[in-house]
Amino acid sequence: MEKDGKPGEEASAGGGPENAFALVVEEHQRVVYAVALRLTGNAAAAEDITQETFLAAWKHLKGFRGESSLKTWLLRIAANKCRSYWRWRKLRSWVGLDERDKDGDGPAIGEILPDDPAGRPEQAAQAADLERRVQAAIAALPPRQREVAVLRAQELSVAEIAAALGMAEGTVKAHWFEARKKLAGSLGEYL
Amino acid sequence: MNDEKEKKLLSLLEVRRPEAFWNRQRGGILAAAAAPRHRAAWMLVPAAAAAALLLMFLGRPKAPAPLPGPQTVSVSFLENLDMLDDMDVLEAVPESEL
Repeated sequence: MEKDGKPGEEASAGGGPENAFALVVEEHQRVVYAVALRLTGNAAAAEDITQETFLAAWKHLKGFRGESSLKTWLLRIAANKCRSYWRWRKLRSWVGLDERDKDGDGPAIGEILPDDPAGRPEQAAQAADLERRVQAAIAALPPRQREVAVLRAQELSVAEIAAALGMAEGTVKAHWFEARKKLAGSLGEYL
Repeated sequence: MNDEKEKKLLSLLEVRRPEAFWNRQRGGILAAAAAPRHRAAWMLVPAAAAAALLLMFLGRPKAPAPLPGPQTVSVSFLENLDMLDDMDVLEAVPESEL
């Protein structure tokens, strides 16, 4: 199902560029959103980042020569936007507009989930609790380990993660080794 | 950690949403692609940083030699700051592709 070719090629197979863009969105929206959500811990920001990632890709499609995979390219854009998001949060914290940042980067559960868990059944509340623990475990990782772990969770290979984050493959392996150890410690009861 | 545990760990990190969520999101992206862009405030950080640098530059102590005229920033220049947002994309392009 994974199509990592150039979207133009899909367009030439039938339909116009808009059709090709719709196919690209359908193919990659889940992975882009998942990365954005895990890296920001904020559902609204993750939706913004997902949208902006695809719009930026659409705008700059001519510059994409297909030498790297489309998925890697999209995830690199998304990761850069997540870094911009954290710079913005730090800036807000620095000027005193974001009180929670003083106590850490842990997001409120309402920011992680798209719905209000209080209005959902018991089973959904348990899922919300698990979601909160997973997100807290990810948020506790240092930034680079967090990025590697989140991309690894999207079934990217070490080489793809290295390309998406602009790191050496050895560095990716080292970060994943450390991140895996810490996540296993935090989420051990579920493993 | 064995492969089984690693698989479970990666499964825990997955993000699951109902199909309606993905459909709504896809509709939003396609509609936004066809409409003028409205960005969240934090997405203007690169442009804001550039504007701050510009203000610092303009506010620096004057050189001994007076400048020929008052320094003004044109609207078109400020609009071009929006291009800095494209840095997220440019940074994502491998060097070999530039």
